Amino acid sequence: MAAAGLHDARQPRPGPKVTRAAALSLLAGLLILAGLLWAAASVLPGWVWRVPAAWQPDLAGTVNRAFTWVARRAEIGSLAVRDITRAVASLIEVPLDLVRGLLVEGFRLRLGSGLRFEIAALPWWALTAVWGMLAHRIGGRPSMLLVLGTCLYFLVFGLWTPAMLTLASVSLSVAFGAVAGLLLGAWAYRAPRLDAGLGAVYDIMQTLPVFSYLVPILLFFGFGPVAALTATVIYAMPPMARNTTLALRRLPPSVTDLATMVGCTPRQRMWLVLLPAARHGLLAGLNQVIMLSLSAVIIASIIGAGGLGNDVLQGLKSMQLGRAFEAGVGITLLAIVLDRLSRAQALRRPAHGAEGHGRGRRLGWQVAALLLAGLVAAQLFPPLRAFPEMLVVSTGRMLDQAVAWANIAFEAPIGALRDGMVRHVLRPVKDALLALPWLAVTAAAVLAAARIQGLRLALATLAMLGFIALSGYWDQAMISLYLVLVSTLVAMLIGFPVGLAAGLHPGLDRWITLVIDTLQTLPTFVYLIPVVMLFGLGDFPAMVAIVLYALPPAIRYTKDGIARVPASLIEAADMAGCSPRQKLAYVQIPHALPEIMLGVSQTLLMAFGMLVITSLVGTRGLEQETLVAVSKARVGEGLIAGLGISFLSIIADRLISQGSQRLRQRLAGPGAGQEHP
Amino acid sequence: MTDPTFPIRCRNLWKIYGPGAAALAATHAPGPDPETLASRGLLAALRDVTLDIGKGEVFVIMGLSGSGKSTLVRCMTGLVPPTMGDLLIDGENLRDMSPDRLIEIRRHKISMVFQDFALLPHLTVLGNIAFPLKVQGIDRESRERRAAELVELVGLAGRESHFPHELSGGQQQRVGIARSLITNPEIWFLDEPFSALDPLIRHEMQDELMRLQATLNKTVVFITHDFDEAIRIADRIAIMRGGRVVQVDTPEGLVLAPADDYVAAFTRKIPRHRVLRVASVLGPVSAGATGDPVRNTALVGDVAARVLAADAPLPVVDGGGTIVGSLDRQSVIGTVFGVNA
Ligand SMILES: Nc1ncnc2c1ncn2[C@@H]1O[C@H](COP(=O)(O)OP(=O)(O)OP(=O)(O)O)[C@@H](O)[C@H]1O
Ligand SMILES: [Mg+2]
Repeated sequence: MAAAGLHDARQPRPGPKVTRAAALSLLAGLLILAGLLWAAASVLPGWVWRVPAAWQPDLAGTVNRAFTWVARRAEIGSLAVRDITRAVASLIEVPLDLVRGLLVEGFRLRLGSGLRFEIAALPWWALTAVWGMLAHRIGGRPSMLLVLGTCLYFLVFGLWTPAMLTLASVSLSVAFGAVAGLLLGAWAYRAPRLDAGLGAVYDIMQTLPVFSYLVPILLFFGFGPVAALTATVIYAMPPMARNTTLALRRLPPSVTDLATMVGCTPRQRMWLVLLPAARHGLLAGLNQVIMLSLSAVIIASIIGAGGLGNDVLQGLKSMQLGRAFEAGVGITLLAIVLDRLSRAQALRRPAHGAEGHGRGRRLGWQVAALLLAGLVAAQLFPPLRAFPEMLVVSTGRMLDQAVAWANIAFEAPIGALRDGMVRHVLRPVKDALLALPWLAVTAAAVLAAARIQGLRLALATLAMLGFIALSGYWDQAMISLYLVLVSTLVAMLIGFPVGLAAGLHPGLDRWITLVIDTLQTLPTFVYLIPVVMLFGLGDFPAMVAIVLYALPPAIRYTKDGIARVPASLIEAADMAGCSPRQKLAYVQIPHALPEIMLGVSQTLLMAFGMLVITSLVGTRGLEQETLVAVSKARVGEGLIAGLGISFLSIIADRLISQGSQRLRQRLAGPGAGQEHP
Repeated sequence: MTDPTFPIRCRNLWKIYGPGAAALAATHAPGPDPETLASRGLLAALRDVTLDIGKGEVFVIMGLSGSGKSTLVRCMTGLVPPTMGDLLIDGENLRDMSPDRLIEIRRHKISMVFQDFALLPHLTVLGNIAFPLKVQGIDRESRERRAAELVELVGLAGRESHFPHELSGGQQQRVGIARSLITNPEIWFLDEPFSALDPLIRHEMQDELMRLQATLNKTVVFITHDFDEAIRIADRIAIMRGGRVVQVDTPEGLVLAPADDYVAAFTRKIPRHRVLRVASVLGPVSAGATGDPVRNTALVGDVAARVLAADAPLPVVDGGGTIVGSLDRQSVIGTVFGVNA
């Protein structure tokens, strides 16, 4: 009976065959179409290749004018919009200044008649002690040691100030993002129709490059930390909202019934019953907000948020790679600490006695007392303010020399690798994509969308690709696409065998999981550092950075897919006398295919996410346009190029994940039979 | 028209799921026929349910999975609105109640115990039990004082500060029961409260429930699909099938006079000595009957040992002490093995 299941899995029923034939004929049709186009290159009119400039509406200009008008002229009542936004900015600045003041900058108060008054920030030793205590409560001794070690690293390498600046931005962005996400998520839960619309908005918010909404934000809030904070919240908030809605929806129905049956008002229902009961899901969302905030805060250093990101950026720009590296390690440590602690907090379950109210309150008092003592001591004894200068070290110089040496010593192999990749892979793919007419690419994508999902996806694809073609950014879009495709391919080529090995050998899996978990906590920016150190600037280092960043899902999904093949199916294969290789080829991989395809789409999304950052090492696609738009403060160009990236990634993701879903449904036939023999 | 004897009355209650159910209600009063339902792809979870539940009664609803038990109780509590028909709680029609009135009723008059306990994970035992009072805005000190009494009542003393995940299933449901009693409700709904517990604990909890009910004397609506459980606690049992209430009767009545083959099949497995009373199996008054008399309302199973041990049939008396018949070994053995009666 189990053998029957195997039989089914091996020899697909007619359905799959038809689809495979259709896919083949589709592919053949495309090839023929491409060939014809090629042959008819001289005959075809120019608009088939690229939309002529005369047909392109001046989208960017219109957007620019609209924004300028709103920002400069528009008035609501008698108030200029610009004044309102500036007022909002100064409102947001209050808590930001407070936190930054407490952590790093201190306060300068000016009381009329020239009376001045300075308050020093909280000293390093008080903050370190307090964080150590909190970490101990959340995650026990290991967490405490990790936190203390991280603080020590910042102190010894002279990174305390930028680290505190980063932390200040992150904590505020998390506070804003979490509250906004919670409210939006709860709202979407209560109004399901709203939920679909918000979902689409979040899709765009999460795929739009940060750079492309930086400019409008700059226009309204001016250059500086508030703009950075706003951008960070936009980037980091959606997972909180999504997780909130999802967690609320997953509550057992009896919990909502309970709320009704004890006579809750709608507000009591949400705040006393539903949200507390869903708190594990909410905390998981909070973890994501924290990690994304850190990632975005680092990126936002470009527009003057300061902090660790700024150190990395300056280091990279002036080729002081040692300094960039030290700051990069700092970011990494910070990411690991924040991830660990927020995860531990999310998994924590209250226990009686061990942490009765009394103990929590005692810790609160201790923390408050310590902070107060620190503040007072710092005012009275200036030497207690900063970490002693003589204990600060820097390996920057040494690292610079080491990198210089390595670059010379390994110049030949590194150069060969880079040039070989560029000459034989990168450039040909890029040229091929650029040579294709936009009409053919669009037609192929629309056809594929129609086959895979139906009219809705086809129309959406048409609209999105049409937008890119009409915007005049088609070439840049193809360049972005080429880098992402090649990187995804390389990531899969590495990730698939590694995931396979991990899925087959649980012992290996532990280590691999540890590594990819750590890789996944690192902010995008960090990946640039070693890559630039070794490979310099250009498409090749960009590709390496993307591959590194996008590798975890490639490994994870393959591994999970293989590990989840039903044991009965594997036993059946053993009984049928399959060799391990046959088992892999005929049973395990086919069964894991939908999961692996989901992995591909995740890898692709991550690659698009990293692509944006690689503009800093000089790639030439849409991402570069968004970066240029920031430096030239062009709202329209930035938004349109950014939407291009967003659209490309949404199309690619939908096509692949829908394909995976169909594949899963097909496999569900024999799989379902397996479950109910 | 408050009716003190029947706190709950259902009149021609229908609950129909599916698109266009409400429109159907407007055109097909008092109730649609099965063909109409089938042709529109609608599912009737309740079909024309009419019943009255008496004050202080333990009313058990039984039926297979999907027969509509939970739907009936959810209609009674206003968790889902019936598609057609009326539901009167103490004479007040649920349909005409304002949302505020409904909240009021839920806060003071009715309460519910859930199959999966539905405890709030972030609150301690005490916090969970006191929760309904918190919703009512009662200050912390008074509500915790009252909750402490209930902790005592359900036998959880010493665990006040535990969190739900630190308790066993049985203990968790004790918390659920205490929580549902803290508002001192008149009507108590329990939807398969013990199904998630293992048999030994379940038995213990049934005893506990009967002990509580003996002192509290609430109107109880209890869902189960365990017949043993039903006959232990029920005053009356309603048997549901495909959304219809097929029969409402005492356990004994169901066994002695099943309304149709379905109920007969359903009750066949019941150990009869645990539902039949002496009055249903006694023989004629006989001069040979000697020894201590048995009551005619006693369960046959409860007096079986005495009858079997006696040499002669035992006399049967009614409440006034008058001899109304006799009980011999034959009828007891016949009852136990389901041969006569
Ligand atoms: N919200 C709903 N939407 C559609 N159909 C529903 C809904 N709730 C219940 N039903 C259907 O109504 C019928 C009765 O369900 P109900 O939950 O009342 O059964 P039950 O007797 O309590 O079963 P169980 O013993 O499994 O709890 C079932 O066929 C169920 O699928
Ligand atoms: Mg039910």
